[in-house]
Amino acid sequence: MAQVGSRPALSATFEVTTWVTRHVGGDGSGSKFFAETFAPGETLRQVMRRFSARHPELDAALWSPDRTQLGEHLEVVVNDAVLGVTHDLDTPLTGGERITLLGQFMGG
Amino acid sequence: MSPTATAARPAKKSASAPASVPGYAGKLLRINLTTGKIWTEPWAEDMREYVGGIGLGAKILYEEVGPKVHWDHPDNRLILATGPLAGLPVWGTGGLTVVTRGAQTDGATSTQANGFFGAALKYSGYDAIVVQGQAKALSYLYINDDTVEIRPAAHLKGKDTWETQEALEKEHGLTGHRISVYSIGPAGENLVRFAAIQGDYGHVASKNGCGAVMGKKRLKAVCIVRGTRSLMPHDARGLVQAADDIAHDLKTDPASSTLYRFGTLPGVSNLYKLGVLPIKNYTTNLTTVDMSTWEPAKLRAGFDHRGHQCNACGMHHCHIQVIGKGPKAGELVDEPEYEGWSGAGWQIGLTDKESITWLNTRLDRACLDVNEFGWVCGWVMECMEKGYLTEKQVGFRLNWGDVDGAYRLIQMISHREGFGDLLAEGVKRASEKIGGEAAKCAVYTRKGASPRGHDHRGRWEEMLDTCTSSNGTMESANATHQTEIGLPGRINPFNGEEVARMVGGILGRKHFEDSLGGCIFTFRTRIEFLARALSAATGWHYTLADALRLGRRTAAILRAFNLRCGIGTDVEYPSARYGSQPVDGPAKDHNIMDQWERMREVWYETVGYDIRTGKPTRETLKKLGLDWLAKDLWRK
Repeated sequence: MAQVGSRPALSATFEVTTWVTRHVGGDGSGSKFFAETFAPGETLRQVMRRFSARHPELDAALWSPDRTQLGEHLEVVVNDAVLGVTHDLDTPLTGGERITLLGQFMGG
Repeated sequence: MSPTATAARPAKKSASAPASVPGYAGKLLRINLTTGKIWTEPWAEDMREYVGGIGLGAKILYEEVGPKVHWDHPDNRLILATGPLAGLPVWGTGGLTVVTRGAQTDGATSTQANGFFGAALKYSGYDAIVVQGQAKALSYLYINDDTVEIRPAAHLKGKDTWETQEALEKEHGLTGHRISVYSIGPAGENLVRFAAIQGDYGHVASKNGCGAVMGKKRLKAVCIVRGTRSLMPHDARGLVQAADDIAHDLKTDPASSTLYRFGTLPGVSNLYKLGVLPIKNYTTNLTTVDMSTWEPAKLRAGFDHRGHQCNACGMHHCHIQVIGKGPKAGELVDEPEYEGWSGAGWQIGLTDKESITWLNTRLDRACLDVNEFGWVCGWVMECMEKGYLTEKQVGFRLNWGDVDGAYRLIQMISHREGFGDLLAEGVKRASEKIGGEAAKCAVYTRKGASPRGHDHRGRWEEMLDTCTSSNGTMESANATHQTEIGLPGRINPFNGEEVARMVGGILGRKHFEDSLGGCIFTFRTRIEFLARALSAATGWHYTLADALRLGRRTAAILRAFNLRCGIGTDVEYPSARYGSQPVDGPAKDHNIMDQWERMREVWYETVGYDIRTGKPTRETLKKLGLDWLAKDLWRK
């Protein structure tokens, strides 16, 4: 198992969907998956920050201008539950989570 | 009825006539179908406070339609209004807002459509058409600048909306952007309670049975030749700058750029992931279908399609397309909006894309609201599957996903044939009539309004909005750039109090948008930009705060209208199925009814209305500058 420092690393999967994939090198369709390792005790916020930092366009779309909160245009779904239900930004991850980034839908 | 008439205008301006305001035509066109009288009246004095569209319509509705004038009374008004941005070079500004007392709730209705109607009307010299009375025989209204005629429409009887438009284009020798036609099909002529008004091949003012109101007036169509009058904004450079900012925002903003590229198509795959796509009448939220094939680009890929933009619009939203395969191959159809894919598809268990696009256009042509049809048809399908309705009752066997059966139902409803006569009353009335277990399966609000094509059990803000609104559909809709008005960027969607604060907090934004004469989609931008565009158009200075206040004024007037009609707090509830807990999918652990009363309390507190009576409080009305309404509402 990979190690982070002296502790065993955990892993979560980011699923970036449809038009949001354009922010991570995709063509705006389908889903792109990324495995992200992290240390025990790290929160969703920390893991998301590290992931988005590698993708500047996603970073700009995901966070508020002052980078303190999530912006309002992307839905974050953890294990099929929207953020706020089973996880908030400061919930420590335990490994194996699927974090889906979904474009906000407008209109009828 | 006069076969031809010229719109009566004052011989000369009176000394007290207000000066015309830039951006506006400055006149209302009045039509009395009973007497055949056609006249105009100046409109200027209260423009700044009512703006146009829904704002103007709400004012006229409140002033002219009393509590005893039900939806089918000749004195009901059918107001076809546009706004100060219509016809100006801002994206999507061909907007039409229909305001009336609608057939489903017998209360206030405001429903929007686009295309070219609003621009054509403004170029003809009118800000709105106000129709009253009832024609002796089926008629249509012809407008060509000052020539306004109520013409016989016997030759259009029974034609669907596309056939009607084609016939009128041929009759007047005009096509494309040179003529705009909004009409009703057989469903409107036969007073189906969820009949819509459809226009310009694919645009629909669909809510609360406005097409039935038009049918009751025996008005088949309104046909406007693109007028020849000039329309000047106060500050052309400022307007173009604001329009550019709006367009740039739509193209580049992370949320609206998807609207810019694909319109509402992303809804299907996105909402499925959230448990918000209605599947088989709310009986499940899961499917074995590969949802990656329902992504927006793939929804377009199977069709030969062309852009079908509205007035001055640069979005890649509306499309006309040709079905490429299957039994309907070669037919020209309108690309469904998200709600077409849901109402004519997933909600009735139909997942064949060619069949859905075909059925969706058939609904538009018959002039049936695709959402309510979905609730009606899905209800029949579920009830037949469970044995709550029999083949003998319905007239044939209707199974999930049966496109031919669904089309047969469209015909039966549109012509009120057999069981279709009951279904034409909408799912609320039909299910109440059948009763028993069948009644428990129907999706509706207790007001009688149709929910939009979502599974609101996973989108609580829209269920609360649908049930508390006063316009026959959602009045606040999705939060858009809500941080602009100090609301949080995101909330826990299953925390009732947070949801209610959000829904109440954004009240007024959409009313303001719908006052301007543009499109719900191109106006999904920052209010600041819209206020700047309006200021440049009119020469009056509007701020974000003004926009919200004006929107909330309109919301309060429509609420007062509904209360006067007897539509109170007792019907602000979902039906049993609509408010049920999902059995599976992402929202399965959440039951909105556990928090419903608290949500209502918080919503009432947030909007400044009294929860016991449903009335906007005196303080709220005073803040909104509606002292006259406070006197009406609180005099006893």
